[in-house]
Amino acid sequence: MPELGSAGGGRPKIVGFLCDWAVSAEGIAREDGTMRDLPHVTLIKVPCSGFIRPSWLEFALRNGADGTFVCGCPLGDCFNRLGNNLIQDRVIQMRRRFERQKIHPDRVATIYYGLHQQAEFVAAVRAFSDRVAALPGPVVPPARTPASRPAAGAGGAAGREAAGAAEVPAEQEGG
Amino acid sequence: MDARAAAYGAWIAALSVLSLVCVLGIVWAEMTSVQHPEHRLVGGALIGIVLLAYSFILLFLRKGGFTGV
Amino acid sequence: MYKRVLARLLRWTLRLDVVINRVYPEDFNPLYYTGGLSNLFLTVLILSGIFLLFYYIPSFNEAYTSVEFVTAQVPYGQIIRGIHRYSSDAFMIAILLHLFRNWFTERFRFSRDEPWISGMMLLLFAGFLGVTGYVLVWDQRAELLVAMTGNALASVPGIGGWLRTMLYGAPGTTNLLLPRMLYLHVGPAVVLYIFLWWHYVRIRHPKVWPPAVWTLFSLGLILIFCSLLPAVSQSQASPVATPTRLAVDWFFLLPYVVLTYLSPLWLILLGVVIVAYGLYIPYQLPETETAMGLRDSGVAEVVDANCTGCELCYYDCPYNAIVMVPSPHPGVTKAAQARKLLAIVLESRCVECGICIGACPFEALELPRLLETDIQERVLAACRS
Repeated sequence: MPELGSAGGGRPKIVGFLCDWAVSAEGIAREDGTMRDLPHVTLIKVPCSGFIRPSWLEFALRNGADGTFVCGCPLGDCFNRLGNNLIQDRVIQMRRRFERQKIHPDRVATIYYGLHQQAEFVAAVRAFSDRVAALPGPVVPPARTPASRPAAGAGGAAGREAAGAAEVPAEQEGG
Repeated sequence: MDARAAAYGAWIAALSVLSLVCVLGIVWAEMTSVQHPEHRLVGGALIGIVLLAYSFILLFLRKGGFTGV
Repeated sequence: MYKRVLARLLRWTLRLDVVINRVYPEDFNPLYYTGGLSNLFLTVLILSGIFLLFYYIPSFNEAYTSVEFVTAQVPYGQIIRGIHRYSSDAFMIAILLHLFRNWFTERFRFSRDEPWISGMMLLLFAGFLGVTGYVLVWDQRAELLVAMTGNALASVPGIGGWLRTMLYGAPGTTNLLLPRMLYLHVGPAVVLYIFLWWHYVRIRHPKVWPPAVWTLFSLGLILIFCSLLPAVSQSQASPVATPTRLAVDWFFLLPYVVLTYLSPLWLILLGVVIVAYGLYIPYQLPETETAMGLRDSGVAEVVDANCTGCELCYYDCPYNAIVMVPSPHPGVTKAAQARKLLAIVLESRCVECGICIGACPFEALELPRLLETDIQERVLAACRS
């Protein structure tokens, strides 16, 4: 990314959506949401992991983030009963959509930790950040040239079950 | 197959053998229950053991990676 | 003070979860299924209870002998009686786990007070059912229970005698007692299902059954218990031998143990206070919007112009707070113009979790105090830093 050496941030730039009922941000995050140990990670608190629109993950990636993750309560123990299971399914769908758009799907992740598992949470975020840092190429493919390349790899398989992805502009299908 | 799955597989096999033995015990208890009504208690306990064994078989199937989510 | 204690209890609860999740896969954690386990035990109780009902005779002369007949003569009667006894204890344990877990994790906020209140009703009725069940056996313990309950009720000033007559059908112990107790054992068991309906009605996809691992484990454990520790009666109740010893079932007969330390009136007062406090728990911490922060982002609102009537939020709302109504007019955006349905948020059911916002791909739902643009601004700020 262009902001490779920028002062406060550093790379890879990561935006994390953090459920207010899941890991407590007390002690691991600063006032502005960046994490103490990993200043390139910014946490955005949300009332429930299910509140997150998958399109916000794409929004973050298209606006300069190298990776985004969602943190919810442990699966099966969502405060609001189903939020983390729902976001898990939605992120899986989103990963397929990213594959079709030539965005590496490993740039999004879901992690699940309870209120007091701060050490594990920081370790998981660090692992995610290392994984994102190792990913090749720009986050978003630079040029959108419709109908220039044949669909590669995942495009065909994912395209068939893309009934729920009708609002994706057609030129990104790569066909 | 990794060592972890093999260990769970061995446990599953052992529990299967145990439950088979228990089922034979249930049959024996039922067949002798007319003369010895107290054998029905043994049969009940054996049914309980079989159910417990099945529950752990299910758990180990999952933990060994034989069944998915 | 209360908040600090609650925080400490929450910490212990979640730490226990972490330990269990190391042993079991997360979707097998039994503490995530305490409600389902209660329902499992209730089902077992109903089925074994129907079996016992075929043999039970509610009269002073035959009650005890009919129970003994089931136990000794009917094939596997002893086992089924044991199942009824031990799964009632397991039912109580599961209910209490469910209660404490949801208390400590504060799952009674906003409209979730209704599951809480109906749950307290279920707890009360379950406890009552346990006591009447012990009376039906009509052994010495039953006689003692009847005497103790009668004395406790009679000690209420003013209406005491009337209360006892209402419960037993007559001032003394008469032939009406056991049929009445049988009715008070079966009738409230049916009422449990009415309360269960109330318990579930605001919940979408309730987890009503535990995973197979735990169904098998619980049934197996109950069967082993009823074989190794067969459920037995004490000696038959009789008017001549005054019962002295109370064989205690700690899950149902705890109040009767307390009676040895407290006078009946104080016990009744204590019970009333505990029940009243239990019903008050959801309303104990009235928090301001600022104190709640994100957790009080306002009731979700439908953006009429964008709603396409696709029902995605309706399927995902965990509290049945969204209903679809016939659309009174077409929406504004292209996707919304051909809509047949419109989503409506029932404010009284909304817990402000925002799950419907995540469900909606058409930007037709918003939390009023946490808009999509707010989130996008924060994302942009994070990316700029």
